[in-house]
Amino acid sequence: MRALDASASVQDAQAGESESALPVALARPRLIDRLPVLRALRSADASIRQRAQQLLRPDHRIGRAFDNIILALIVLSVASVLVEASPGLPAWTRGPFHIEEIIVVAVFSFEYLLRLVAAENRLRFVFSFQGLVDLISIAPFYLAGVDARAVRALRLLRLLRILKLQTHILENTVAVRTRELAEKNASLEQAQAQLKAELDIARALQIAILPASFPAKPGCDGAARMIPATTMGGDFYDFIELPDGRIGLVMADVSGKGVPAAFFMAVARTNLRELALHHDEPGACLAQTNDVLCAQNPMELFVTVFYCVLDTITGVLRYANGGHNPPYVRRADGTVEALNGAGGLVLGAMPGMSYPDHTLQLLPGDRLVLFTDGVTEAFNPADEAYGTERLIAEVRANGEDAAAALVERICRSVTLFAGKAPQSDDITLTVLSWGAPQ
Amino acid sequence: MKLNIETHGRTTLAIAEGRLDFGAAGGFQKQLEQELSGAALILDCAGLGYVSSAGLRAFLVIARAAQSAGVAFSLCALQPAVREVFDLSGFSRIITVHADRATALAQAAQPSA
Repeated sequence: MRALDASASVQDAQAGESESALPVALARPRLIDRLPVLRALRSADASIRQRAQQLLRPDHRIGRAFDNIILALIVLSVASVLVEASPGLPAWTRGPFHIEEIIVVAVFSFEYLLRLVAAENRLRFVFSFQGLVDLISIAPFYLAGVDARAVRALRLLRLLRILKLQTHILENTVAVRTRELAEKNASLEQAQAQLKAELDIARALQIAILPASFPAKPGCDGAARMIPATTMGGDFYDFIELPDGRIGLVMADVSGKGVPAAFFMAVARTNLRELALHHDEPGACLAQTNDVLCAQNPMELFVTVFYCVLDTITGVLRYANGGHNPPYVRRADGTVEALNGAGGLVLGAMPGMSYPDHTLQLLPGDRLVLFTDGVTEAFNPADEAYGTERLIAEVRANGEDAAAALVERICRSVTLFAGKAPQSDDITLTVLSWGAPQ
Repeated sequence: MKLNIETHGRTTLAIAEGRLDFGAAGGFQKQLEQELSGAALILDCAGLGYVSSAGLRAFLVIARAAQSAGVAFSLCALQPAVREVFDLSGFSRIITVHADRATALAQAAQPSA
C-alpha cells in the first residue's frame, strides 16, 4: 500500500499511534499468554477432563457399561473377601485370589483417577465422602500389599461403594439434565431476544414510513401524531401531494394486531398512495384500492380508511369513507359536527364495492379532526372509554389552537385520562386547519 | 366470551355473550366454523357488549365460510354500540342483521332461505 500511495504516510502514522496504544491495554493477558507450556497444559487438561466426563456419563452406552463392570467387580471383590476369610480354604486358591485382587484394585484405581480427572474441583472430590470411600477401597492394597491380613477387613468397606456408585450415577444424571436444561433455556432466551429485537425494528420501520410533516401550502396547516400501542398495531395516516396541487389526507386503521397487521398496513398504505395519484375523486380511489387489497389478502384482514382531498385555495374538501370513524369539523363559531357519509365498507373485505363521494366546504378558521378508534376507545383503569363526548369537548374548547397544538392537547387529554391503564391500540390523530390563503 | 349452541330444526342458533376482542376472536371464529352443517346459522348478539376490529374480522371469516358452505348466515339482536360499529364499518351491508331472534328464526325457516 505504501508503494502504491504516497499519501498513505499520514494514515500509517495514525495507524502506528493506535498500534502503540494497544500493547498497554493488552499487557496483562499477554504475560500469561507468553507461557505456552502453561497454556498448552491448561487446554490439554480441559480436553482430558471433557473426555473423562464423557466416559463417565451414565446416559451413554460406554458410561453405562463402565458402571456395570464396576458394580460387578465390587460384588466379586466383597464376595472374595468373605470367602477368603473362611477357614479351611485350600492353599492353591490363594493364587487366583491374588490375581483377582490385583485386577480389582487396578480397575478401581483407574476409575478413581478417571473421576479425579473428570471432577470440576479435584480437591473437593478427594475430600468428599465418595472420594474418600473410593480411596479407602484401594488404599490398603497400596499400603500393605496383597497379604495384609490386618487391613483385610477394610476391604469390606468396598460395600459402601455400591451406595456410592448409585450416588455417582444420580449426580451425573442430574448434572447432565441440568446442563441440557440450561442450554435449552439459553437458546430459548436468545431466540426470544432476537424476536423482540426484530419486532422493535419492524415497529420502528412502520412508524418511520409515516410522513413527518405536512406539505407546505399557504393558508393551510396540518399536524399528526401516532402513539403506538405496546403490541404492533396497524394505524396509519398519510399526506399526499396530488399532481393537480391538491392535498390528499388519509386516516386508516388495520384490523387485528401484530406482524400480519403491520404488513397489511404497509401494503394498504403503498397501494393507496400510488392509486391516489391516478384518481381525482376519493371514492374512485378507495374503490380501486379495495379491489387491489382484496386480491392480495390471504389473511382476510381489512382496513378502515377515511380519505379526503383538500383544495387548499378554495377550501373545498372532497371525501369518501371506507368504514372509518367519521372525522369532526370544528367551525370557527365553536360548533363541532361529525362528517356525514360514513358506512362505506372497510377495504379488503369484499371486492366490487363503491364509495360515494361527499363534499364539505371549509371556511377560514375551520379545523378538521381525523382520528382512529384508539382515541375514543382508550380505556382508563376503571375500564371507562375516553369516548366521543370527551373528544368533542376537547375539540370545541381548543379549536382556536394551531393544528400541532391541538393534536398535542388532545393526545395529552387522552393519555391523562387513560392513566396507568395499558394502551391496547394505536392512538392516531390528524388535525387540518384551513384559512383562505392571502 | 361465551358461545351457547341451540338447534332449531335445520337452523343452528349460536348465542354469544361477553366481549369479542382481539383475545376472544380466534376461539370464537373456530367454534362457529364448526357450526356450519345446518341450513342456516344465526348468531344472537343480545349478550354481546363489545366488538373490536379483530371481532369484525372473525364475523367476516365466518360469513365467507358460510357462503361457500351454502349456509345462510345472519345476526340478530345487536346492542346499540355493536350496531353502531356494524353500521360505521359497513358490515351491515354485507351481513344480514335482524332486529330480534324471532324474526331471524322465522326468516331462516322460510323455504326460500
